[in-house]
Amino acid sequence: MASEAKAGARWPDPAEAPAPADLARCVHCGLCLTACPTYLVTGLETESPRGRIQMARLIEDGRAELTPAIQSHWSLCLQCRACEAVCPSGVPYGRIQEHARAQVQARPAAGRAGLRVRRLALRQVVARPRVLGAALAPARRFAGWRLRGLAERVLPGRLRTLARQLPSNQGPPFRLEEAAAGPAAGEPVQFFAGCVMRELFGGAHRATVRVLARAGARVGAPAAQGCCGALHAHEGDLAFARRLAKANIAAFEGAEGAIVVNSAGCGAAMKEYPQLLAGEPGWAERAAAFAARVRDLSEWLAARPGLPRGAWRTRAAYQDACHLAHVQGVRREPRALLAAAGCELVETEGADTCCGAAGLYGLVQPGMSAELRRRKAEAFAAARPDVIVTGNPGCHLQYLAAVREAGIGAEVLHLAEALDRAWGAEAGPER
Amino acid sequence: MTTRRELLAALRRAVGDGAVVWRPEDLAAYEFDGTVERSVPHAVVLPSTAEEVQAAVRACRELGVPVTPRGAGTGLSGGAVPLRRGVVISTARMRRILEIDPNDRVAVVEPGVANLELSRQAARYGLFYPPDPSSQAACTIGGNVAENAGGPHCLALGVTQNFVLGIEVVTAAGDIRWLGGRAPDPFGFDLRGAFIGSEGTLGIATKVAVRLLPVPPAVVTLLAAFPTVGQACEAVSSIIARGIIPSAMEMMDRLCIEAVEAGFRVGYPEGAGAVLLVELDGLEGEVQADAARVRAECLERGASEVRVAANEEERALLWKGRKGAIPALGRLAPNYYIVDGVVPRSRLAAVMERVAAISARSGLRIANVFHAGDGNLHPLILFDEREPGAGERVLATAAEIMRVCVEEGGTLSGEHGIGAEKREFMPWLFGEEDLATMARLREVFGADSGLFNPCKVFPGGTGCGEMGSHAAAVRAAGPDAYV
Repeated sequence: MASEAKAGARWPDPAEAPAPADLARCVHCGLCLTACPTYLVTGLETESPRGRIQMARLIEDGRAELTPAIQSHWSLCLQCRACEAVCPSGVPYGRIQEHARAQVQARPAAGRAGLRVRRLALRQVVARPRVLGAALAPARRFAGWRLRGLAERVLPGRLRTLARQLPSNQGPPFRLEEAAAGPAAGEPVQFFAGCVMRELFGGAHRATVRVLARAGARVGAPAAQGCCGALHAHEGDLAFARRLAKANIAAFEGAEGAIVVNSAGCGAAMKEYPQLLAGEPGWAERAAAFAARVRDLSEWLAARPGLPRGAWRTRAAYQDACHLAHVQGVRREPRALLAAAGCELVETEGADTCCGAAGLYGLVQPGMSAELRRRKAEAFAAARPDVIVTGNPGCHLQYLAAVREAGIGAEVLHLAEALDRAWGAEAGPER
Repeated sequence: MTTRRELLAALRRAVGDGAVVWRPEDLAAYEFDGTVERSVPHAVVLPSTAEEVQAAVRACRELGVPVTPRGAGTGLSGGAVPLRRGVVISTARMRRILEIDPNDRVAVVEPGVANLELSRQAARYGLFYPPDPSSQAACTIGGNVAENAGGPHCLALGVTQNFVLGIEVVTAAGDIRWLGGRAPDPFGFDLRGAFIGSEGTLGIATKVAVRLLPVPPAVVTLLAAFPTVGQACEAVSSIIARGIIPSAMEMMDRLCIEAVEAGFRVGYPEGAGAVLLVELDGLEGEVQADAARVRAECLERGASEVRVAANEEERALLWKGRKGAIPALGRLAPNYYIVDGVVPRSRLAAVMERVAAISARSGLRIANVFHAGDGNLHPLILFDEREPGAGERVLATAAEIMRVCVEEGGTLSGEHGIGAEKREFMPWLFGEEDLATMARLREVFGADSGLFNPCKVFPGGTGCGEMGSHAAAVRAAGPDAYV
């Protein structure tokens, strides 16, 4: 969002500066502190939402330049937006943070090389399905490799974590043609398949399509769809995020029905296309119309009458994806669906606290990411669930490593996989 | 004079390298609390143990540097703002719950434990910690002790003072002492009582032993809508006059309802002049009977509607609106200024009328959200600091409201503390000798040099000039809360 920064403000990229009105919303009451995972870990107010907003205000008021310290505080932010959910003044923290990152993009105070590499990778690899497919092929092969267990044992720390995060049960990548399913007279639904999900979570996608069809949807997937741009926006590459947003809006305009997405990060970004494109002439209405159609899989299912019931008697620990719970406000639906499927829900300590995956965060901030994963592992070890269910690819990968660290045998499933199994179990031979 | 380098070196020796914040931009994150007071410290330390707190206090004492204790910085009287700069000692890394004893119903916690976290952990044993300031999700037990914090549920149960059994403190002199203890009946001089509410001017709490209560078996929450604030105030008095002591009785006026609805959509009745939130707890039968009586009383006093929360979810929503009401006012005006005063319950209706008259005369909108049951008012003056002279008018108006509270037989603070803002009003209530007696208590704790949380509680004081006038502070602030 373009904004008129104050005179004296020292923003490297004034056109993308955090809006003064957004910053002014914060009355620094401090109610966000204990919602913030990085504040809880460090005890530092510089690593809290209020502190990070204050850093932006320092620049806005001409009291400071974008220093390496300020950049590091922003960069340690998970962008989980737990603070937004508890903010009584309605500070749009996520938006402020994206525009703050845009300043880092424009003139980094430190770590220029890493930023450039990430931006290049996000633009040239993640946003291009074919390139991404080729790039992830070795990882997929490793995931299914016979000697994987052995290899994991000899890998050094960080690589071992990455290796442990790879799902082994997801089958080949998802092709958009596989989305065509469901009764001809069913309610039309357009499936959004994303980028990384498509490559690493083919199994979860196929389960999503089966579950939707089973719930009475006539599923399709526009071929021109692409990456949602969430990772780009979080990184502060707003220009590129806008390009991807426009492409997706155009791609879905010709197809009727709800746009159903099974990744919390994508869903949140797509529901926020209107604010991402607020300054783009001619896009306001189209973005609003698009966003109004977007539904998380759990939202769409929970609103359907006559869903199959299941009898899958298992202890399931649902973990809220931050961008589903804090940004989209969807907490009840996934739990209700699991309960109706027969699961015994186990609430673990910190189920709605960020797991530390947070998009690229695990790669950029491995230390904090590992600490938050350790806390999840501890909670899992205490609650001993049979399955851990979530609805976002990053979290899913993080939990695969966390259950190993916890030393428990719990299975990690996407909500769609869990429902697919539960509904199938009830139906018996149909599967 | 101590140089910055000497100060930082001494602090690093005291608490270690990783526990000292020193970069100017980082220190700016510690320049405020929930008010508009601002002052950037020279350094912030984050000790992990009482011994580290002691080492930091001693280092500052030796160097003659002012010390300001800080919990979560959610306070509403400027208590955690280092008005004479110097060193902020944060308790954010002292966040362990050391013990919860369900048999003795006692918990021992470090000062940085968040108020709500203690109740959350105690819930495993069917217990809770009653004082519940609206900032309870973030505010700390140590800060609660400093400000003698209250909250909606203090009506029937009491404030922090009534729930703290003992405190381990590092005194301003740099000694570690226990005031009171873990046992239920304190004897001898009550230094614990003197420390609670001393607003960080005597020392820093490093461990706090508190009483817990069993979670009541039944809770009923009612929401009554009234055409006018006056009628709601009369209902409050008459409910208590009937011998019913609700666990909480909270009022919000029309402006406040509007802000809360804009923020949370909790379903407060539209167009009501005031809503009264009444909570009753205890045994099922008794609670239901009292609820019926409260309902009847409200209707008799002119309530247009009385609703009962049907389940825990509805109850949580009603409270969410109340607890977030003050910051939600940020949606109605760029700035607001919170007044915290107390009047006898029987004077509530009269005082509210006088506040309304002050509002009309000053042309400033005043929203009201308050703990009606114990006569603790929070008039919120809405304004826009960009209007010329707004700051001065707001302060004059606030002073006028405080004056009304005192005239009607009330006091200067219900729960936010005197802090920086209201210390100049202290002489309205206390004679010079009274204040001198309080000041002498500081000697006992080694705080007589006035370097421990300077510029708070007592009027005047040297070296507080750099904070400037409050008017300037209000002018300089963004859309800020001001106590």
